[in-house]
This record gives sequence, C-alpha cells and structure tokens, in this order.
Amino acid sequence: MKFKIKSWNSVAIWKWLANDDKCGICRAPFDGCCSDCKIPGDDCPLVWGVCSHCFHMHCIMKWLAAQQNQICPMCRQDWALKSDLP
Amino acid sequence: MANIAIQRIKREFKEVVKSEEVAKCAIRIDLLNDSWTQLKGEIAGPPDTPYEGGNFKLEIVVPETYPFNPPKVRFLTKIWHPNISSVTGAICLDILKDQWAAAMTLRTVLLSLQALLSAAEPDDPQDAVVARQYKDQPSIFRSTAQYWTGVYAGGPIQNSDYDQKVRRLVDMGVDENTAVATLSSHNWDLEHATEHFFS
Repeated sequence: MKFKIKSWNSVAIWKWLANDDKCGICRAPFDGCCSDCKIPGDDCPLVWGVCSHCFHMHCIMKWLAAQQNQICPMCRQDWALKSDLP
Repeated sequence: MANIAIQRIKREFKEVVKSEEVAKCAIRIDLLNDSWTQLKGEIAGPPDTPYEGGNFKLEIVVPETYPFNPPKVRFLTKIWHPNISSVTGAICLDILKDQWAAAMTLRTVLLSLQALLSAAEPDDPQDAVVARQYKDQPSIFRSTAQYWTGVYAGGPIQNSDYDQKVRRLVDMGVDENTAVATLSSHNWDLEHATEHFFS
C-alpha cells in the first residue's frame, strides 16, 4: 500500500537545565519567565553565576542594580557570570 | 506596586500557608487588606526560652522595591528582649537591614526572628536597658522576659510578686504599661521605680 503525506505538524518541547526549579529572586518557575516578561525562552534567559546559582537574567540584573556589593542573593559570594553553560 | 513585588508576595503567601511550620503553629501570616503590602505575622515563642507559650504579633510592611529591599518588620506585641525595643517593637537584625538577600522570604524572616528569640545578641542591642540587664542580671532578665510574655503575649507563667509591685504603682496613678516598663528597667526595685516617677 502506498500513501502520500500531505502535511504534518511537528511538536517540540524544551526546558532549562537549571539546578533548581524556580528562580530564587522572583520565585517563578524557571520554565516560565520573570515577572516582567510574557514569553519564556530566549526573551527571558537564565544566567548562571560562578557560584553555580541560577536566576532569570532580568531578576539578577535588578538585584545587582539595587546593591552596592555585587553578591549572589543565595550564597552571598561575589557575583560573577559563569561563561560556559553546563 | 511593582509587578515582581506583588507576584512574589502572592507566591510566598502560598508557600507559608503550606509550610510545615504553619502546621505546627510556629509561624503564620495574615493579609490585612487587598494591597499585599501590609501583612500581619505571628510567631510562637520558642521552647526553653522565657518566651515559651507566648504568641508574638508582627507588623510586616512590604516595600515597593521588594524583594530587592527587605520587608519592614516590627513587633506589635510588647516583648522584653535585648535586640527588640521594649517601647516601639523595632527589631535589630542584620538580615532586615544590610544583610538582606533577595533569596530570603517572609518564611525565612519569621524563622530568623524566632531564632533571635532563642539567641539574643546583647552586644548589638536595640534596647540598651534590656541588654544591660541581660548581661548583668541574667536571672532578673529571664523572669522579666517571662513576665512580659505572660502579660502581653498570653504566656502561661504568672508572677504575683511582680503583679503586686505593678499594682502599687498603678494605685499611685501610673499607667499600667508604664509601670511594667519602669519596674522592669529598674530590676523590679519598687523604691527606685517610684523615685523615677515622683522625684
């Protein structure tokens, strides 16, 4: 029997590989987005510190902007971006 | 109020309500109005402290910039403790000031306050009179803190000697809270406390 495919709909799922399920700053799930964004994903990315803690980029930027000392809000170590992703 | 502040408080509120500490009646949080900025907290006095058996009410004000700045917390229930003002209820605790971090929550703040009741820091006092008594007269400090827990926080322990001294001052026309505070500050020496009012 022969048949011809006329069209198909592909479905993909994605998730962030974070060491926690939600952001410690806004407490929203990492698979969602920060409080100011609507669409999860590249528009509201996650970033990792060298201390290995992970946050929505928008959330950690707001935290660092509000502080004199640039420390991780989880462990208080100096905050620095980890360059390579896990 | 900023989006992040409201959304976070809503999430935290659910977390506290579900937490095991609430199940054990150790902490609770209530809303005062629809704005999510004014909350009422409550912590139970920890066991094996002069605060055991008491329930201490807290005023919690969430700033516009939460969680990037700490919530403003003070005791509404009067309490005798070196790091809490016996007059205003203001609290001296580093995480409510410069040691705040965005990852802390209302739940961890209430648990920290409970820990503060178990372990005072008399060298970093909010109330210098209480702190001096804590260091110089530890047994009077304990019975005074216990007395305040009984009078203001519903604690179980009564002290008829202290009651009588308070009554004497009240009979002389002194307001009851003022009488308790003044006697406490004068290590329950009725004579000195009386001099304070009438000299």
